[in-house]
Amino acid sequence: MISALLYLQWHSTVNRVVTRVKRLKKPKYLLGFIVGGLYCYFYFFRFLFQARRPSGSMALPEVTPELTIALEMLGALALFVILLSAWIFPHERAALNFTEAEVSFLFPAPVKRRTLIHFKLLRSQWAILFTTLIMALLSSRFGRGGSALATLAGWWVILSMLNLHFLGASFARTKLMDAGITPWRRRGIVLGALTLIVGVIVAWGWRTFSPPQPADFAGFKTIIAYAKTQLETGPAPWLLYPLRLVVRPFLAQNIADFLWAIGPALALLVAHYVWVMRSNVAFEEASLALAQRRAEAITAVRSGSFPGARHKRRRDPFRLRPTGAPAIALLWKNLIGAGSVFTSRTVILLGIIVCAPAVIIGVNLRGSDLVPGIGLFLLMGIAWSLLIGPQVLRHDFRSDLRNADLLKLYPLAGWRIVLGELLAPAVILTVIQWIALLVAAAIINRIPGSGPVVPGLTRVSIALAAAMLLPMLNLISLLIPNAAVLLFPSWFQTGQNAAQGIEATGQRLIFMLGQTLVFMLSLIPAAIAFAAVFFLGRLAVDWVFTVPFAGLAAALMLALEVGVGVMLLGKLFDKFDLSAESQ
Amino acid sequence: MIEVAGLTKLYDTFVAVEELSFSVRSGEVLGLVGPNGAGKTTTLRCLSGIIPASRGTVRIAGHDIAADPIAAKRELAFFSDEPRLFDYLTVEQHLAFTARIYGVANYRDISGPLLDELEMSDKVHLLPGELSRGMKQKIAIACGLLHSPKVIFFDEPLTGLDPYGIRRMKDSIVRRAQEGAAILISSHLLHLLEEVCSHVLILKKGRKIFDGTLQEITRQYASQEGDTTLEQIFFRATGDGEKAPSPATPSPAPPPLPG
Repeated sequence: MISALLYLQWHSTVNRVVTRVKRLKKPKYLLGFIVGGLYCYFYFFRFLFQARRPSGSMALPEVTPELTIALEMLGALALFVILLSAWIFPHERAALNFTEAEVSFLFPAPVKRRTLIHFKLLRSQWAILFTTLIMALLSSRFGRGGSALATLAGWWVILSMLNLHFLGASFARTKLMDAGITPWRRRGIVLGALTLIVGVIVAWGWRTFSPPQPADFAGFKTIIAYAKTQLETGPAPWLLYPLRLVVRPFLAQNIADFLWAIGPALALLVAHYVWVMRSNVAFEEASLALAQRRAEAITAVRSGSFPGARHKRRRDPFRLRPTGAPAIALLWKNLIGAGSVFTSRTVILLGIIVCAPAVIIGVNLRGSDLVPGIGLFLLMGIAWSLLIGPQVLRHDFRSDLRNADLLKLYPLAGWRIVLGELLAPAVILTVIQWIALLVAAAIINRIPGSGPVVPGLTRVSIALAAAMLLPMLNLISLLIPNAAVLLFPSWFQTGQNAAQGIEATGQRLIFMLGQTLVFMLSLIPAAIAFAAVFFLGRLAVDWVFTVPFAGLAAALMLALEVGVGVMLLGKLFDKFDLSAESQ
Repeated sequence: MIEVAGLTKLYDTFVAVEELSFSVRSGEVLGLVGPNGAGKTTTLRCLSGIIPASRGTVRIAGHDIAADPIAAKRELAFFSDEPRLFDYLTVEQHLAFTARIYGVANYRDISGPLLDELEMSDKVHLLPGELSRGMKQKIAIACGLLHSPKVIFFDEPLTGLDPYGIRRMKDSIVRRAQEGAAILISSHLLHLLEEVCSHVLILKKGRKIFDGTLQEITRQYASQEGDTTLEQIFFRATGDGEKAPSPATPSPAPPPLPG
C-alpha cells in the first residue's frame, strides 16, 4: 500500500515541477526565474560550499571549542523551549496534515493507520528537505563555518527531530485527553515539572556558587555570563544532554567531528520514530477538520482576507445609489471587503479623536523635543507608506483576480474597472496619510534639537501641498502591482499554481525594482511642474504662498500620469485572458 | 439575437472551438450539448465576452462583442455552473452593487419580486458563506436578471438545485424565452434540454456536428426502430453509440440470497 502512496507523492511532485517548468516557456516567467536564480546564487548558494566563512559584519567570531559548547547549550536550550511548546500550547486532538483530496481518497480506502502515518512522515520530508536547504543557505550566508555536509545534515536532523517530536507529542496529548486529563490539567503538570527542574538547577547553582549578586545583573554581559555558568555546569548540561546530541552534528567543524556526532543523533531520531509508530491514536476526524480549515484558509487568501478571519456582515461604507459612475460601485465593494473600519463615520471619528489632542499638545508643549520628533516620525511613516502601503492594502485586482470572469462580464470599459479597483486602497491610504499629516502639521512647531521654529503658516502651506499630492502618489504606486496582476496572473494565484521558490523571489525583485523605478520616473514631470510654478510664483509672492499652488500643479501632472496609466491598464484588462494563463 | 460566425478559440496550438457558426433568435432556446471537453464552456465564455475569441464574430442583440463589448454585455447575462459571488457582500449588497454596475435605477422594484420568486427574501442580510450552493445559484440568477437581459447564457443551470428549484428554473427559462429572450443552455442533462429547448447544437472536439430544431435532429438521427430519445440521438450523433448503456437492457438480477 505504501507504494501507492509513494506513487501519489512522486507523481504529484513531478507534475507540479513539470507544470512550473512548462510555464517558463513564456519569457515573462523565465525572466522571473533567471532574476530569482541569480539573486539566490549570489546571495546564498555561493557561500554554501565555501570552506571559508564569509567576511564582513555578518560573520561570527572564530569558532573555538568553548564557543562550540556555548552554542551547543544555547541550541539545546532553544530546542527545549520549542519542544516544550508542543506540550503546553496545543489543545486540539492529534491531526495529521492532509489535503482535502487526500482525505477523500485515502481515509475511505483500505489503508492502515500506520501506513497513513508513514505517508505523512514521508511527505513531510519534502518540506523538511526544502527548509533544510533554506536554513543551510541562511546559516552559510550569515557566518557559520564548517562543511556543507555538516550544515545540511545537521539541519535535517534538527528539523526531522522536531517533526517527529511534535507528531509524537500530539499523539500523547490525545491519549491524555482520552484518559480524562484536560489540556489545562496537562499544562499544570508540565509547568509544575518545569518549575521543579528549573528550581533544582537554580538551587544547585545557589549552593555551589554564590547566590546571584546585584553585580550579576549590572548589564547584559554580566547576566549572560551568570546564565552561561549556570548552564554549563551542574545538572543543566545533563538535563539538556539529549538535545545537545541533536544539535551537535550541525556544530561539527570537520568531518571527523560530524561522524562522531551523527550516530547518537540518528539513534534519537529512531527512538522518536518508534515512539510515533507505536502510538495508536485515532487522528482521522481531527485531520478531516484540519483539512477543511486549510481549504477555507486558501479560499480566504484568494479573496484577499487573512487566513482564519471569518467573513462578517459589514456596514456599507457609504450609501450606494443605483445610478452614477460604476467605478464608485467597485470602490464601495472593495471598501466593504477591506472591513467595517473604513466607513465614513469611523474616519470622521478617528480624525476628531486623533487630531484634537494633537492640536492641544502642539499648542501646549512648545518647548518639548519629543512632540515634534513624533511629528517627524509620522512624516517618515507617510513617505514609507507610499511604497509599503500598496503591498499591504490589496483590495484591488490582487484580491479580485479569482472574480476576473465576473468583472469581464460587466458592461464597463476596461479603464473604468481599473479605476474602480484602484480606488479602495488609494482612499484608505490617503485617509490614513491625511490624518497623520494633520497631526504632524499640528505638532511640528519646531525642528527638534536646536532647530528653528516652524511657523503655523509654513506648516499649513506645506501640509496643503502634501495633501494634494498624496492621493495621486498613492494611485501611481498602486498602478504597478495591479499592472503586474494583469501581466503575471499566475504569480498571484494561490494553491499549487502559485509562484513559489526562486520564481517567486525573482517576481518580487522585479516588482520591487519596477515599482521603485516607475515611481521615481513618475515624479520627474511632477517635480518639474512643481519647480516651475514655485519659482514663477516666488517672483510675485512669498514662497509660503506659492507652495500650495506648486503642489497643485504637481498633483495635476501626477493626475495626468495616473489617467494615462489607467487607460493603458484598461486596455490590458480588455485583452486579459485568464484562460490562456492556466494552459 | 445571438449570431455567431466562424468562432474559433485556440489555446496556443490546441483548438478548443473551431469555425462555429449558428444563431439564436428572440424567443428561442438553444441547447448546447457535447461530450466532456467538446468546447461548450469555452464557447459560452467567448459568447459572453469573458475570454476573447481567436477568430470569428459574435453579435449579441446586434452588437459585435469584440468591437462594442459594452453595448453587447449590457444585453446579456451569463450564469456559470459555479455561482461567482463576492465573499464579503451580503445578498442585499450584491443586488445594490449589480444595480449600480448596470445602472438599474429601479432595482428595488425588480429585485423584490425576483427574491420572492426565488424564495430568498428572508436571506437578504446573509453572506455567501452562510448560504447553500443552491441558494448562491439563486443569488447569482437574481443579480443576472436584474437588468432584464435580452440574451441569457446558462452553463449547467440545474447543478446544486433541489427538485423545487429545478422545476422553477425550467419554468423560468421557458417564461423568459416567451417574453422574448434568446437563451443558450449548455448542459449534460438531456432531459432538461428536451423539456425546454426549441433547438439543439451538438459539439464534438470543438466542431459543430449538428444544429437544428428537435424535430430536425430526430429526423436526421432517428433509427429505424421508431421513437428515439435525445439521449439516444446524442450517442448516435457523437459516434459513441457502442458505449451507450441501453435503457432497454435490464440489469442482471442479483444472486439469490442464501437461505
